[in-house]
Amino acid sequence: MTTDLEAENAALLQFLYACPAGLVEFSAAGAIGMVNPAAMGLLMPIAGRPFVINLFDVMDGCAPELRNMIHNFAPPQGTVCDGHRIVTGRGERTNVVACTIVKLTEDRYVATLSDVTEQVARERRLKQAETWFASLLDGVDDVAVLSLDANGCVDAVTPSATRQTGFTEAELLGRPFEWFDRPDRATAMPLPGEAIAVARRDGWYLHEGWHALADGGRYWCQRLVAVRNEAAGAAAGYTLVIRAVTRQGRDTADLRRMLTRDHLTGASNRAHFFETAERQLVRALRDAGSLALVVLDVDHFKRVNDEHGHAAGDVVLREVARRCETELRPEDIFARLGGEEFVVLLPETSLMKASAVAERLRTSLAREPIVAGGIELRITASFGCSALDTDPSASLAGLLAAADNALYNAKRSGRDRVELSHPDQAAA
Amino acid sequence: MLTFEAISLDMLLTLEADRLDALPFGAVGLSSAGIVEIYNATEAQLAGLQRETVLGTHYFSVTAQCMNNFMVAQRFEDEAEIDAIIDYVLTLRMRPTPVRLRLLKAPQTDRRYILIQR
Repeated sequence: MTTDLEAENAALLQFLYACPAGLVEFSAAGAIGMVNPAAMGLLMPIAGRPFVINLFDVMDGCAPELRNMIHNFAPPQGTVCDGHRIVTGRGERTNVVACTIVKLTEDRYVATLSDVTEQVARERRLKQAETWFASLLDGVDDVAVLSLDANGCVDAVTPSATRQTGFTEAELLGRPFEWFDRPDRATAMPLPGEAIAVARRDGWYLHEGWHALADGGRYWCQRLVAVRNEAAGAAAGYTLVIRAVTRQGRDTADLRRMLTRDHLTGASNRAHFFETAERQLVRALRDAGSLALVVLDVDHFKRVNDEHGHAAGDVVLREVARRCETELRPEDIFARLGGEEFVVLLPETSLMKASAVAERLRTSLAREPIVAGGIELRITASFGCSALDTDPSASLAGLLAAADNALYNAKRSGRDRVELSHPDQAAA
Repeated sequence: MLTFEAISLDMLLTLEADRLDALPFGAVGLSSAGIVEIYNATEAQLAGLQRETVLGTHYFSVTAQCMNNFMVAQRFEDEAEIDAIIDYVLTLRMRPTPVRLRLLKAPQTDRRYILIQR
């Protein structure tokens, strides 16, 4: 016979088995004590294998910041993060997992995990609309209005537009409106045609970004493309409304940095890398141009952490990011993929040119030791390159896999070297 | 042979309840819709649950969400015939527990089995 206590215990277990949110209890070192099935269901695909015993090890590939966040959380107890978003996967299928961590004691933490992929996509649209309508209330002085034809080219200009941009009417007329985009490495602009396509589908498209000024400068603005005169189901043209965001204060800049940068190294984060890379890839395929990826992994990094501590490891990662970014062009994206692994996105670059860039990065790391905590550390990295001109896979996941493969060859043949992907070999 | 590796689907179907309970590994029998029809004593013991509360529920939603993926639940959907052993981690009593799973399904039989060995 079962006692009341046993029955109650079984009911509690059943409650936890059926809980639709993931629950994990773990130590300061990440060792999982308790975990419910929903959490295991989320962690297993991230780990890529059913061997899940340490939360930090599982998350190292997509959210290496968790370890730092917990390490740097000084209070004896409290919320370490609330709804922290983690982008999982490697291009083919990226999911977003929201993670909340509460510190209970020095060595005991509880986290909840839930898949918010669809919610994130919905939110992005909603937030855009909200920002826009809220901004309209701030006054209409700084709003410029233009008319676009069915292809998105400027066909009429109001004085507000010439006043705001400094361009004359003649300079504006006939240009595709995207011609005035002035993106930098921190902003992912929509592809030409994308804004019009979405506006045709949904009635409107909203985007925030840099826009050209006639004097060669640029200004930050929000742009709304709205369908006009929709007769017989076809868009006859569009109205483009540009709102200059003059008070782009510290808060906005900080928020943008937080959303696109890796917490520890200041390199681009995974979410920003995948977003930009997908856009660049579509662009390169459409224009029959090339695009290259360089994946790099710091050699024997585990040894640095084990022998000199995580603080020294963090210094090394920051310095690796700093040295690499100095060697790159403004349009290149340098991102942290996870752990000690980074990726460089090189637009309009062939495999041969990418290999030269990788060689330059390799030398800049190997040339001088990195000083961490008063100790000089000889740091090298291994590099794998792939590019669209030699790899016909034509997907981001395929290019990443090809670069990973080359990186693996670089590691296997002695590290501190650059290897190129060979599509024939990869297929074999 | 009533071992984890050797027991057949036919044997599981004909085994009496008390002998099923006496198996040294967990045995879960599901209908084609995923409803639990068989839940032996060993499995109830391992999971810390009472048989009556599991029978009649949808296994992959209520008790075994961590198997509700391409490695287990999806295979029962996709494959007509399965007899496979896989290494896996379950969250028995919320502890990550390495186990071996044996998945059994045959085209002429509606009921599928999952055997669980710690």
